[in-house]
Amino acid sequence: MSKEPAPQGLEPLAEADSLVLPTRPRRIPTALRVNIRGRSVQLRGLRRPPTGLLRWLLILGPGLIAASAGNDAGGIATYSSAGAKFGYDLIWVMVIITVSLAVVQEMCARLGAATGRGLLDLIRERFGVGWTLLAVTIILVANGGLVVSEFVGIGAASELFGVSKYIAVPLGAALLWYLVIFGSYSWVEKIFLAMTLVFFAYPVAAIMAHPHWPEVARGAFIPKLQLDSDYIFILVGLLGTTITPYMQLFQQSSLVEKGVARRHYGPERIDTYFGAGFSNMMSIFMIIATAATLHVAGQTDINTAADAARALEPLMGSSAPMLFGTGLLGASLLAGAVLPLATSYAVSEAFGLPKGVNLDFRRAPKFFMLFTALIVFGAGIALIPGVPVIQLLVAIQVLNGIMLPIILIFILILINDEHLTGELKNTRLYNVLGWGTFAMITTAVVVMLGGQLLEFFGVKLFGG
Amino acid sequence: MVMLSALRRFSVVDERGKSARLQDLAVALFDGDYPPVTRLFYSVEDGQQMSLGWDDVRALEWEAKQIKVADLSAGEAAPPDSLKQEVLLVRDVLDALVLDLQNRRTTRANDLSLEEKDGRLVLRAADTSGRALLRRLSRGLFANAPDEFLYDWKYVEFLRGEPRSVRNGEGEHLRVTRLQPGEIAVLSTAIPYLHAAELLTLLPDPLAAQTLEVTLPERQLQVFEELDEEDAIKMLTLMAPNVAADLIGRLATGTATRYLERMPKERSARVVELLRYPEDSVGGIMTNEVVFISSGLTVREARASLREILKKPEFVYLIFLVDDDKQRRLQGMISLRNLIVADDDKRLEEIMDPYVTTLNHHEPAREAAYRVINSHMAAMPVIDDERKLLGVVTMDAAVTQVAPASWSSQAPRRVFT
Repeated sequence: MSKEPAPQGLEPLAEADSLVLPTRPRRIPTALRVNIRGRSVQLRGLRRPPTGLLRWLLILGPGLIAASAGNDAGGIATYSSAGAKFGYDLIWVMVIITVSLAVVQEMCARLGAATGRGLLDLIRERFGVGWTLLAVTIILVANGGLVVSEFVGIGAASELFGVSKYIAVPLGAALLWYLVIFGSYSWVEKIFLAMTLVFFAYPVAAIMAHPHWPEVARGAFIPKLQLDSDYIFILVGLLGTTITPYMQLFQQSSLVEKGVARRHYGPERIDTYFGAGFSNMMSIFMIIATAATLHVAGQTDINTAADAARALEPLMGSSAPMLFGTGLLGASLLAGAVLPLATSYAVSEAFGLPKGVNLDFRRAPKFFMLFTALIVFGAGIALIPGVPVIQLLVAIQVLNGIMLPIILIFILILINDEHLTGELKNTRLYNVLGWGTFAMITTAVVVMLGGQLLEFFGVKLFGG
Repeated sequence: MVMLSALRRFSVVDERGKSARLQDLAVALFDGDYPPVTRLFYSVEDGQQMSLGWDDVRALEWEAKQIKVADLSAGEAAPPDSLKQEVLLVRDVLDALVLDLQNRRTTRANDLSLEEKDGRLVLRAADTSGRALLRRLSRGLFANAPDEFLYDWKYVEFLRGEPRSVRNGEGEHLRVTRLQPGEIAVLSTAIPYLHAAELLTLLPDPLAAQTLEVTLPERQLQVFEELDEEDAIKMLTLMAPNVAADLIGRLATGTATRYLERMPKERSARVVELLRYPEDSVGGIMTNEVVFISSGLTVREARASLREILKKPEFVYLIFLVDDDKQRRLQGMISLRNLIVADDDKRLEEIMDPYVTTLNHHEPAREAAYRVINSHMAAMPVIDDERKLLGVVTMDAAVTQVAPASWSSQAPRRVFT
C-alpha cells in the first residue's frame, strides 16, 4: 500500500485496492450521544446550544453595542446641556425613565417577535391608511430632525479638528450616500462603531472630576420639579433623546430581521433590559461629568462642541477636544447612515413599495429617493450659517419628545391586541408602566407647550 | 365594478326603509379564483354589529349607494370577537401585505375592486397604486376612477399571518402552487415569518417540502418551527435527507430526537446516518439517497431493476455501479442517457466509466465543494476508506456550501442589525 495519495480518477476504481487519503488528519468534534428508538447513537451533526460565558456574551453583545452607539450627537448635546445648566438636578429623570425606556423597548421587541412585522406595517394593517399617514409623518419629522442633528454633529466634530463644516458636511453626506448604496457600508460601520468607544471615557472622567457624591445621590433620588421654562424644556429634551420614536422602530425591526420567532423570545428580554440600563448609565455619567466640571465652574451654557468636550478634561487634559471629536464624528456618521436608511425602509414597507439596498434605482426608485432626500435635507440644514449648534441639537430632541406620545399610543394598543400578539400580550404590570410612561411624557410635553404658548401671549407661567 | 373604498360608504336598507351603516364583508377565500362575498356586517343604532348572509341581499343599487336587504332586524349579532376565523375584506384584506404573483414580489392592497357576477359580489382585483391611497384619504374626492393597474385577484395571494388558521393543503388550487419551489422560497423570505409559514401550509405537501428545501437556512428554521408537529414530521420525511439532517441539526436536542423517533423508520435511519458526520466534513454535506446497482448485470437486467428503484429517490442522472449490494464497493458510474442508448446485452462493466473522481467522507466540506463545482459533475460519489459507496455530494449542495460569501450581495442586506 503506497503512502502517496491514490491517483484520483486516473486509474480504474477497481484496480486501486484501497485509497490512501490526501487529507491531513482532522480533529473530529466530540459527538452528542442520544437515544433514538432505544438505540444509542453518536451524532456530530447536532448543534448544541452555547453554554456558560459564551451564552451570556451572545445574549448581551448586541444590546451593549446598540447602547454604546445609541448616544448620538443629539444625546450628547442634551445630556451635556442638562449637566451644565442644572448640575445634578435632572438625574432623577434619567433614573425614572430607565424603567420607561426598558418597558417601551421591550414592548417593541415583543411586538416584533410576536408578529414578524415592523411597527409601521402593523399600524398600516391595524389602523388603516389615515393613521398610517399620521404615523409616517411623525416618523419623517422626528427622524428627519435626527438626520439633521447627525450632520450638525459631523460639522461640529470636524471643526474640533480644524476642518470647516462647509467641507466636512457635504463630504460626509456624499460618503455615506455612496457607501450605503454601493455596498461596502457594513465594513465601514465597524470603524464608526469603534470610534464611539471613546465615550466610555465619560464614566472615568466623571469619577476623576470628584463630584460631590451626596449631591449626586440627592439629584438622582429626590425629584425636584422646577417651574422654569428652561428646566421643562431640557426635561422634555431628555425624554425625547432617551426614548426616541426612532429607537422603537429600530428595535422592532431589528428583532424581525434577526429572525427571532415568538417561541424563542424569552432571552431577548434580557438583552433589551440590559441595553436600556446600560445606555442610561452612560447618559447619567455624561451628566455627572459635565456637572462636575462645567456647572461647578459656573459655566452653565454650552454653545459649542468645544464647550461640551471640556467635560472630558479631568481624564484627558488638553487632548479632550480631539478625543471628544473622534467619538462625536463616529457616532454621527454611524447614525447618519442608519437613520435615513431605516426610515426609508420602514416608510416604503408601510406603503408596500419595493425597498432594500440590494435593489437598484430603477427597481426601487421611491425608496432611494426618500433615502437621498433625507440625507440632502439633513446636510442642507446643517450647513445653514450661524446656527447655534447645541441649541439646535437640543431643540430637535425636544421635537422628538413631542412626537413620542403619539407613537406610544400606537405601540400600547398594538401590544394589547390579542389577535396580533397572542400569548405575548401585555401583562397588567406592563400596561401600568407603559401607560404611566405615556402619561408622564404627555404631561411634560403639555406643560412645556402650554407654558410657551402662554408666554407667547404675554402670560408668564414660569419664573426664570 | 366597485371599489371597496366606495362600497364602504354604502348603506344597508331594508324593505321597511330602515337603514344601517355597512361595516365589513366576509368572503370565502378559497372558493374559486374570485372569492365571493358570503356575509355582510352592519352596525345598528346602539352600535352593535349585526350580520346577514349574502342570500338575504335583494339588490345592489349603485345610483342610490344602497344595498337592499329584506329585513335588517333579521340579522344575527356578530360581535368582533366571534369573527376571528372569518376573512373580512376591510379588517383583514384591505391594507394587508399581499403576494403579487405576476411580478413575484410583495405589495400592499391599497384598495380592492369587487364585481357583481350572477347576482353575487366577488373580489375581482387588488389596487396597489398610490392613487388608491389618495382616493381613500380624500374619501373618494380625488382619483375616483379605478386605476388601470389593477391586479387580477387570480394572481394575488392573500395571507392572514396565522399558520394555524389554515387547514393543511386547503389552497392547493391556488396560483402560487404553479410557481417553481425556488420562486416560492424567494417570495416567502420577503414576507413576515408567520405569513411564510402559512403559505407553506397552503401548499400541497411535496411542493411545500421542496420549497422548504431551498429556503435560506435562517428562514427555513423559523418557518419550520411554526408548523405543528404532524406537519413538521411530514415535511422532514419528504425532504431530501441531507437537507432534513441540516434542519434537524439546528433544532433543540430534545425536539430533534423526538422528530427522529416519530419519522418513518427508513427515513429517520437515513437522516441519523448523515447526522453522524460533523457538519464541516464531506459526510456533513452529502446525501445518502443515491442510486446504485451491481456492475455485473447486463444492460437489460439493469433497466428492469432500475425501473423499481427509480420510482423513489429524486436524484437520477447518474447511476453508480458497485461490486455487490452488500459490500457496495464503488466500481464506476454511468449516466442515465448512456444506459438507455446502450445495447441490451452489454454488461454494465463494459460500458461504465471506471475513472471516477471520488470524495472521502471525512474530507473538509469546503474544499470538496470546490472540487465538485470544478468537475461540473452533477454529483460526486462519496466513499469511505474501504471504497464503500456512502452517498453523493450534489452540485446543489456544493454550491450552497460555497455560495454564502458571494450571495451576500444578492440576499437582502441587513438594515437593522
